Amino acid sequence: MKHTLYQEHLQGVSKLTSKQTDMKYLLTAVTIFICIIQISCSKSLLEKTDPTRVGTETFFKDETELDQGVNGVYSQLQDITRGAFVYKEMPSDNTTLQINPQNRGGAVGWETLEYATWNSGTGDMAGIWRNYYSTLYNVNNVLEKTANSDIAADIKAQTEGELKFLRAYLYFDLVRYFGDVVLVTQNVKTPDEAFDLIRSSQADVYTQIENDLKDALASLPGNQPAEKTGRATKGAALSMLGEVYLTNKRYPDAVNTLKQVLSLGYSLMPSYADVFDPAKKNNAESIFEIQYQGDNDLGEWSSFEYSFAPYLSGDAVTGYDVGTLGGQNIPTNDIIAAYEPGDLRKNVSLQTGYTKNGVYNAIPYVSKYNHPHTIKGRTNDNWPVYRYADVLLMLAEAINEDGGNGAEALGYLNLVRTRAGLVALAGLDRAAFRTAVLHERRIELAFENHRWFDLKRTKTPAELVAFMNAHGAREKANPTCDRGGVAFNAQDYVYTDNEYVFPIPASEILINSNLTQNSGY
Amino acid sequence: MINNLLKVHVNKLVMFIVWALSCTIVSAQNISVTGKVTGANGAVIAGASVKVKDSQAGTTTDSDGNFKIDVPARSVLVFSYVGFQEKQVQVNGSNNFTVSLTEAKNDLNEVVVIGYGSRKKRDITAAVANINVNDIGEQPSRNPSMLLQGQASGVVAYQRDGTPGAEFEVRIRGISSLGAGSAPLYVVDGFPIGTSIGTNFNPNDIESISILKDASATAIYGARGSNGVVLITTKNAKEGQLSTSLSVDYGIQNVPDSRKVKVLNGVEFAQFKKEVWMDNVRYFQNREPSIDEVPEGFRYPEQTKYSTNWFDEILHNNAPYTDINLTFSSGKGPVSSLLSIGYYNEQGAIIKTNYERYSVRSNLKAKINNIVTVGWNIAGSYKKYRGAATDGRDAIIGASLIIDPREPVYDADGKMRPYIGGKDGVFGYPNPVFELINVVRTRDAADLVTNGYAEFSILKGLKFRSSVNARINFTVNKDFKPSTIGDRLGSGSAGAPPKTASLDESRPQLINTSADQLLTYAPNMGKDHSLDFLVGFTAQQEKATNLIGTGNTLPNDLVPYLDAAVIRSSRSSGDDRGVEQWSLLAYIARANYAYKDKYLLSASFRREGSSRFGENNKYGNFPAASVGWRMTNEEFMPEISWLNDLKLRASWGVTGNNNIGNYSSLSFLNTNNYILSNSVASGVTISSFANTSLKWEKSDQLNVGIDLALLKNKIVITAEYYKKITNDMLLPISIPAVSGFTSSLSNIGKVQNKGFEFAIDYSERIGKFNLRNSFNITFNRNEILAINGPNDMLWYGAFYNGYSVQKVGRPVGMIYGYKKLGIFNTQEEIDKAPKQDGVIPGGMKFWDADGNGEVTYDTKDMVEIGNPNPKFTWGYTIAADYRGFDINVLFIGAQGFDVYRQIEESTMNMDGVFNVLDKAKDRWRSPQNPGSNPNDVHSQGGTNYFKWSRESSNRYIYRAGYIWLKNVSIGYNLPGIKYLGNVRVYVSGYNLFLFTKYPGNNPDVSQRSSVEDGNDDEAYPVPRTFAGGVKINF
Repeated sequence: MKHTLYQEHLQGVSKLTSKQTDMKYLLTAVTIFICIIQISCSKSLLEKTDPTRVGTETFFKDETELDQGVNGVYSQLQDITRGAFVYKEMPSDNTTLQINPQNRGGAVGWETLEYATWNSGTGDMAGIWRNYYSTLYNVNNVLEKTANSDIAADIKAQTEGELKFLRAYLYFDLVRYFGDVVLVTQNVKTPDEAFDLIRSSQADVYTQIENDLKDALASLPGNQPAEKTGRATKGAALSMLGEVYLTNKRYPDAVNTLKQVLSLGYSLMPSYADVFDPAKKNNAESIFEIQYQGDNDLGEWSSFEYSFAPYLSGDAVTGYDVGTLGGQNIPTNDIIAAYEPGDLRKNVSLQTGYTKNGVYNAIPYVSKYNHPHTIKGRTNDNWPVYRYADVLLMLAEAINEDGGNGAEALGYLNLVRTRAGLVALAGLDRAAFRTAVLHERRIELAFENHRWFDLKRTKTPAELVAFMNAHGAREKANPTCDRGGVAFNAQDYVYTDNEYVFPIPASEILINSNLTQNSGY
Repeated sequence: MINNLLKVHVNKLVMFIVWALSCTIVSAQNISVTGKVTGANGAVIAGASVKVKDSQAGTTTDSDGNFKIDVPARSVLVFSYVGFQEKQVQVNGSNNFTVSLTEAKNDLNEVVVIGYGSRKKRDITAAVANINVNDIGEQPSRNPSMLLQGQASGVVAYQRDGTPGAEFEVRIRGISSLGAGSAPLYVVDGFPIGTSIGTNFNPNDIESISILKDASATAIYGARGSNGVVLITTKNAKEGQLSTSLSVDYGIQNVPDSRKVKVLNGVEFAQFKKEVWMDNVRYFQNREPSIDEVPEGFRYPEQTKYSTNWFDEILHNNAPYTDINLTFSSGKGPVSSLLSIGYYNEQGAIIKTNYERYSVRSNLKAKINNIVTVGWNIAGSYKKYRGAATDGRDAIIGASLIIDPREPVYDADGKMRPYIGGKDGVFGYPNPVFELINVVRTRDAADLVTNGYAEFSILKGLKFRSSVNARINFTVNKDFKPSTIGDRLGSGSAGAPPKTASLDESRPQLINTSADQLLTYAPNMGKDHSLDFLVGFTAQQEKATNLIGTGNTLPNDLVPYLDAAVIRSSRSSGDDRGVEQWSLLAYIARANYAYKDKYLLSASFRREGSSRFGENNKYGNFPAASVGWRMTNEEFMPEISWLNDLKLRASWGVTGNNNIGNYSSLSFLNTNNYILSNSVASGVTISSFANTSLKWEKSDQLNVGIDLALLKNKIVITAEYYKKITNDMLLPISIPAVSGFTSSLSNIGKVQNKGFEFAIDYSERIGKFNLRNSFNITFNRNEILAINGPNDMLWYGAFYNGYSVQKVGRPVGMIYGYKKLGIFNTQEEIDKAPKQDGVIPGGMKFWDADGNGEVTYDTKDMVEIGNPNPKFTWGYTIAADYRGFDINVLFIGAQGFDVYRQIEESTMNMDGVFNVLDKAKDRWRSPQNPGSNPNDVHSQGGTNYFKWSRESSNRYIYRAGYIWLKNVSIGYNLPGIKYLGNVRVYVSGYNLFLFTKYPGNNPDVSQRSSVEDGNDDEAYPVPRTFAGGVKINF
């Protein structure tokens, strides 16, 4: 009896406790639930970004950030310049390529440029197109951000001037590579808009280039402050504008423009070798050069010589053995023969062979960019774009074409020749002078990425075809390099007049059928 | 008042007396019963529950399976044990008997784990497959993913290569995405750990695996549900059971001779070189060369001094593996715990490659009181892996086939030669044996996965569960290449060592945390209605960081550490990835309703937000619903004795796929510095378009199924049909480069997968002989419905490597190339055929597919030449036991698919720069000697040319259908031994016999992305394994 009562009591208590406990746990549970939801729901949980990189949205606000944007464009020029010789020298009569019969896989692109077998599917065409427009995107972006910023007016003008110089540089290359190209001066905001962009006429592109350069001239300084040595100056803009006029056969404008460079304080270096010496970067002769820096780990090095050295030269040329080298941009028999006896430039610009393990190999190579460096594969050589000698020769050419003072033109030409240890020329008629100045450009500016455009500028398509076919025939008959048993293909060195411009990349036309192709491709 | 009080008390007193009396009467009739509970195979079952029917009385069996209970005479005893069918036995005077329980394989009352909960199998209306790991015979415990092989319809686990410890590639219901991957989501004990189970997990810790296949099952996982979900439940202590068990396996691995690729030996290769050389002179110089002209190296082939089979040289014969597991578990009392310690060591079939795993797991569960239960699982493991660059023609396996066989491994002094080849125009390679020994490539990882929960049973039917999960992974990668390793594929002299020693070390770290809050409510609705609800909230985030150090120009090979390097660099992020972070949060809800167990309804909803998606599309909704109809419960259905259960079901749901990388919607700055005034000036450029509209890849999936149980559940059949359409597929689309960029990730494209799945289980018991057959088969068809436009094709691959093409109207990843018509025998044949620029007699004759009169040297004449998607895949398990013996046999198969044997571009390269396959002897040599069957699709052309000899074409396509006897295990359970307990011994074999016409090592090979299936460039060979082991239950 008592037992039962006690049990009942216990049960009652336990029921009561259980209810209280239920409530207690329920409250605890609900509290935990609410707390966790509160914590987790904070909006920032779904905002994840990469802390190792800066988001685009928040950048380009002040002078420093805009300046970094400009540097970024220059950096893209570094990349463009690394491979530019393939398009600006190798198609010409200046250089050829040493075939590595063991490994031609990566060489397909170079071979098409060397042997004039490129077509719209050649990957290099798409490569140029992409690199240039990617760089143009960054030019336009920083231009837009600069315009919208509230930095000081003079700095704004100078930044815009520099960017417009860079835009002109890019379009000047593009229009000479492809003819009519797509003119983008304002970036598209969505991918869809890009499908509406079509090619503009060469005339319109040149107008844009001229306007950009004139804007640049208005704001670029004669000399950049010391800490910005290497960026564009008034001299660079004038030189480019002069070349633009020369290309468009606007000779009075060219003369007028180029003459302005003479008063900017540039002079020829006493020795030709000094021009390219990494220890004398941005020297008195240099007007605009692409900057590189070797001998360290900072990622800004050049490595031109490793592309240019014969592929089995080991350490004989560069001083370091990295296995197989490029064997590209090999000076042709033709250019080697073009040097006049006693020309001091020859030994600087090229070598006719190398000695490895005591064995001489008669494979020529470009030596202009071969300088001692302390780290394998990382050279310290800059790449010249405009230098005073180039301006003198352009001026001489412009005056001659304009029918101007023959003595004056000859004077500029002979300044260049005498430094090279050659006799001054005299008594040339206009046609002879034209030939002489083109020859002088070929030698003076050898392997500096001028030849193909110079040939295009000074010859009609038909003349260029005849000229290049003659060169091709000579190469086929007497190849500069041993070809390791690889026979010439029937199509090799067969030039046609459509090859005056490169084809618009097939991949781009495939994406956007509104893009037209150059005739003949 | 007193009266009343007294009355109550008297009543109570009377009741008490009656109760006491009845007790006495009952107890007076009690008898003592003893006995033993065993499984069908005679193995004792410890911890089985023995209860008196309709009473609270009961006990459990001890570790020898014995029990003792006092019960009323004539009562009924109910024997039950997890995984076995319940059995009732009438106590009929007998007081000592042995009860044998049958495994509950086909038990529809089995509880199956599903997303955020569990359900009885009979109530499930979605497509869910359940794998009970006890039904799988003994296998090497290399990786948990291998347990999925052949076990469930719709689930294919491919062993892509034989790398020690490697994860299998698992696909559930086909390839449903072109850009975001097709791997399922793995969830371990409720914790979604990602689309890979990794290589740190001990498969012995797994109790069961559920595979959620259709959208109604996976939609609760929202944006990660599209490719199916694999739910892994780890082992817990069995209630009332105390046990210690030890298992030790030891095995060996070998690559069977039949699965080796046969190349020429030294003499044959010299002969081949000689013939190639002479044929060249004959063709180009039109004369018969004299023997003295033949280069010395192969002038007299029969005098070749050495003949090395490089592939055999790199093999580790009888490579051992060891697997030891020790488990303690206690299920007695309110706290149950399990501790599992594992050690696994596998020496690879290739020398110097190995994988080792140390693992500890502790699963704890405590019932604090009637209301609160808490649990905590913690699993730590350490993996040590040493591998090598094995896969592909430019790596060790490929190299071992094509290296000059005329060269010895060792030089005359017995010193191993570091570099082979480079003479007589044969390409040079590092000696693969030397490379395997001297190149260090290690991947060590410590991994901790832990999760805990507290569950509150607040009111009847109302439960709240709060859980937290975390995974921490720390990996140390090291790659050291000493100066003695030369370059591959260089011309001999340039590639030979010494080279510069280099070192890469990286330290990736990952932390993933998540928390779930779940409220479940199952009100009591009476007998006919059953209803339950789930609402919940879940949040998860992951952060992966890395630290990479690169050292170059080490002065010697003695100190493979960064300190020794002359040039060092370090980064805090991977190649183009920075610190990888993502997060998600989601609200979930689900309701299940059943009426009279006849009509079943289930609906779920998940709203999920993800950090990965564009500002405008942060959240997505994932609804799903399913219905089931148990026809056998309908009154109009006649009682049919052989039809035990018939259920029809249908489901529909929306799921997503968020595997698009973490920051695809954002635009970042790239560092692009410049040099000003001869010092570095910071510069930036922009990486990509920002895409604020980027959103989920969404799949709609429809599933209809039928579940059937026949003949007292001896036969259980499940058949399903499904159709899944993935919309808004995330693909990079090419955009005009004038935009500044060449591609942009966009939501375009549609892929459809539809298929039929069928699974049948048949169990039979004849006396003491038990037999179980389990067969499943899957037919999946996929089709790309849209990409960017109707004519859009995405080409993956390269001109010489085979193309995998995604084309609207066709299955994913069709293989493209030229169609070979034969070999040009003469110049006349060439002249008559459509133009093939540069072809000479002996060259491949290809089809001018576009009919323009020329076979162009681009993709214009390339057509579909192979289909890498199997027509069907299947698995068949047959298991039997008799007394103490048991056997378990697993077959798997895949039929009707093609593999592009990419390696033959090198092993059938006729330049003489590589060793070649045996079949190269039967090549075209001249119009008079064109080989035995020049018009065969696999025939080999001549040796005098480069062009038209190695382009992507169907000459590399092989039918790869196979039947594979994957696993056989035979075991014997010894009767209980004193002081030792139950002992099981067994032998097993894995990857035993492969029946296929495919000439490569492994027809399941695939060395590219999931949308480029069926490309074989020679991977780590899949070995055959033989093992023996013992399991002791103390």
